[in-house]
Amino acid sequence: MTYSTVPRALQFLRSNPLEVTLRRHSIRQYTPSNFYSNRELEQYASREAKRLTLRQLVFFGRSLNADKILKSANYVRTELPVRISHRLRDLQALPYVVVTQEGVDKVYELYWLAFEKFRQYPEITTLAENQKFCEFLQKLLDIHATVIPNLSLGLSLSSKFLSPDRLDSFMRRMLVSRISRRVLAEHHVALTRSFTSQQGQESDEPHVGIIYTGLNVKHSVERCTSLLRSRPPEVEHMGKIDSWPEVITDGHLDAQFPYIREHLEYIVFELLKNAMHATILKHYGKGPLPAIRVTVVAGENDIGLRISDQGGGLFSGGNTIENSNDLCSFSHVRNASRLEDQRIVALRTATEEGIRATVEEQVTRWKNPSSQLEKGKPLTATIEVSASLPRIGIGLPMSKIFATYFGGSLELVSLDGWGTDVYLRLPKLGTNLEDIEL
Amino acid sequence: MSRGPSFGKRRARMLRAASSRLYATRALPRPPSPEFLELLSKYESTTPRPLNLSQLLSFGRPVTPDSVLASVSYVLYELPRRLATRVRFLETLPFIVGTNPYVAQTTKAFQESFQTLAEHPPVRNLQENEEFARMLSDIVQRHANDIPTMAKGFQESSRYMPPEEINAFLDGAIRNRISVRLIAEQHIALTHALHNPPKDGQAMGVVDTKCSPRQMIDMCGSFVTDLCYATLGNAPTIVLDGQVDATFAYIPVHLEYILTELLKNSFRATVEQHDPQGTGLSLPDVLITLSAPPSRAPRSKLNESSAPSIPGEHYLSMRIRDQGGGVSKAHMDRIFSYAFTTANSDTARKNRRIWEQEDDDDDEPLLGVVADQSLRTGMGTIAGLGYGLPMSSLYARYFGGSLEFKSLEGWGSDVFVKLRCLDEAGDSSI
Repeated sequence: MTYSTVPRALQFLRSNPLEVTLRRHSIRQYTPSNFYSNRELEQYASREAKRLTLRQLVFFGRSLNADKILKSANYVRTELPVRISHRLRDLQALPYVVVTQEGVDKVYELYWLAFEKFRQYPEITTLAENQKFCEFLQKLLDIHATVIPNLSLGLSLSSKFLSPDRLDSFMRRMLVSRISRRVLAEHHVALTRSFTSQQGQESDEPHVGIIYTGLNVKHSVERCTSLLRSRPPEVEHMGKIDSWPEVITDGHLDAQFPYIREHLEYIVFELLKNAMHATILKHYGKGPLPAIRVTVVAGENDIGLRISDQGGGLFSGGNTIENSNDLCSFSHVRNASRLEDQRIVALRTATEEGIRATVEEQVTRWKNPSSQLEKGKPLTATIEVSASLPRIGIGLPMSKIFATYFGGSLELVSLDGWGTDVYLRLPKLGTNLEDIEL
Repeated sequence: MSRGPSFGKRRARMLRAASSRLYATRALPRPPSPEFLELLSKYESTTPRPLNLSQLLSFGRPVTPDSVLASVSYVLYELPRRLATRVRFLETLPFIVGTNPYVAQTTKAFQESFQTLAEHPPVRNLQENEEFARMLSDIVQRHANDIPTMAKGFQESSRYMPPEEINAFLDGAIRNRISVRLIAEQHIALTHALHNPPKDGQAMGVVDTKCSPRQMIDMCGSFVTDLCYATLGNAPTIVLDGQVDATFAYIPVHLEYILTELLKNSFRATVEQHDPQGTGLSLPDVLITLSAPPSRAPRSKLNESSAPSIPGEHYLSMRIRDQGGGVSKAHMDRIFSYAFTTANSDTARKNRRIWEQEDDDDDEPLLGVVADQSLRTGMGTIAGLGYGLPMSSLYARYFGGSLEFKSLEGWGSDVFVKLRCLDEAGDSSI
């Protein structure tokens, strides 16, 4: 279908509600025509993704004008459907039994919906259209918040149909692609915002779009620490506790580097959360909680972060993993806890709200626990309405994917019986790293 | 200015002396006698009798005249065979490497030891065993400095062999050496135990069931501190935390070796990073954390099974943390290789001033001094040749333990050592 005039395009968007599109590609009403109408998808999938380097994104965003904004909008508009089509082909290649599994089928539908919407979106020629486009992007990002828990749930349940390697690599491709699409979309929305509002920097740290050019690591650690410590002190299984452990930072305290703030803070947040949880489980009631030590190191081309806790190590929780990498696997073959009832229930609950894998989302959730009730969704009997979130178990695998996205690394070493050391290394974006592409 | 009249004569004398030296080193080493070769091939072709740790220790449980005689007959069977393997490996090195005086010296020592043991008559009674144990002790002593000697030889020959081959050779040589010494020293210990019988009649020999890492750290720490002050002018303090009073069953000399090498690395890195001139600036501490093997704790409501996942395998874990600047990414691949050292740096040359020594241009002064010192103490350890990490790793892994190295480039390094508790490691092969 082609649309030559703009008003007609808008009409299309108004008249085709999401549900109609959903039904066309719903698996539950799978008809032979779905098979034969895969052509459009294959055409897109045959194109290669046109990647931009991070450097290009930063330089592009430095001196904005209307033309550049529109150029950016149309790049996002044409690029994302190509990338989504690759993921759809990936999904189509999975075993039938996996894609029809609960969770995965929802993701498949969501991706089809996004693909159709992008594919049919008309060219953006004015700033007003760009505004509408940004709203569209935001809405789509919101809808897709349920992808991570759904995929996690579905793949955990389908663990037995896929080899651990295949499962993990599929999941990794999906999540990596998701990160890059979100970065492009969010970067464009952020650029639009700073262009149209003409505000000064919103935060104290300079940034271009979502890339913070001088991200102060110590401040990020402190932000995450204070957010975590401001939670109502409660831990699952144990109920209320006195307080959270402290976090002491040392090393190169002035270290700064260009990075996407949301990514760094998600990783640090998750790792500190794990460290605090382990510390409490091991020491609560046995005297003062040992502090968690964070060491920040500014290398020549990297930033290093070491988080040391005294939480007893990785193998003391009665889990059956063989090495620390298994904690980052989505397969229950490698990490049996993925199929524990509690995990599955928690994932199912999370699929209702969705997970964006940002710090802000988690903070909002525990500040407004009643928001779940407001939406009128029924709560499963076993989950109480409390501020403590049942653990879903995707913090580590997601952190690893975020960490390795630009070529960094995340490694865990256990001092069995004593504690764990986590080594995070993130490359300084923009220094000799021309070929990091999104 | 013209040179004096005697110059010509002096010059001629110098040349003659030099050429005779050259001639001497060009002479081929004398080949071994045909009888020796026959003996060697006889032992090479005997079937190996592999031993595991519990079998080795069983000679001491209990220690009786019979068990000691059983032990010596095992020693006389197995040691010559293992030494024959070692001799063969040395002989198959490239010829040019074999003519290196240090390598040749080692080969000769092994050939002699092999011959002594291979030609030794069977030991029939305790008196003969006394003699034998004394002789065995001498042999062990003779080989105390094998590693530094071979290391020196390989350093000099590094351009004649690719690094992978050197690594593989040294790995095999050191592993072989560990097992030979283990068998020999276990027998010597059992012989002594016969005179000083332990209360319960059970001699673990070389294994100390209550080996204390804390005591070891104190001992090795003070040795390395002295060495560090002597060579670099400063030394950091060791701070111990974690389960400081943990003890476990292990072979003390192995733990001693590992600790000494790792502390040497951390100390050297700390001083070079924070006080390269050795003027006595304050240094960040080296932090050692100990974690004892998890005991079979009563079940808590949190963990269904607090026992470790693999029954029967307990480890003592140790983390050595320094602020010595870490290891750069470029070096990370090479630090476990025998042929690599970070002592070939400008700092080492700067340190020449401190020692006021005139060394050859080829030798690193740090290498020369420390190797001499270590040779003098007879510990058979080296620093500056870069053997510390790969060897510590080998020792740690010998009974199924592990060594992991993590670095924060620009800040410091962490070394994680896990050592298997030997009272439950009976199945490890020697």
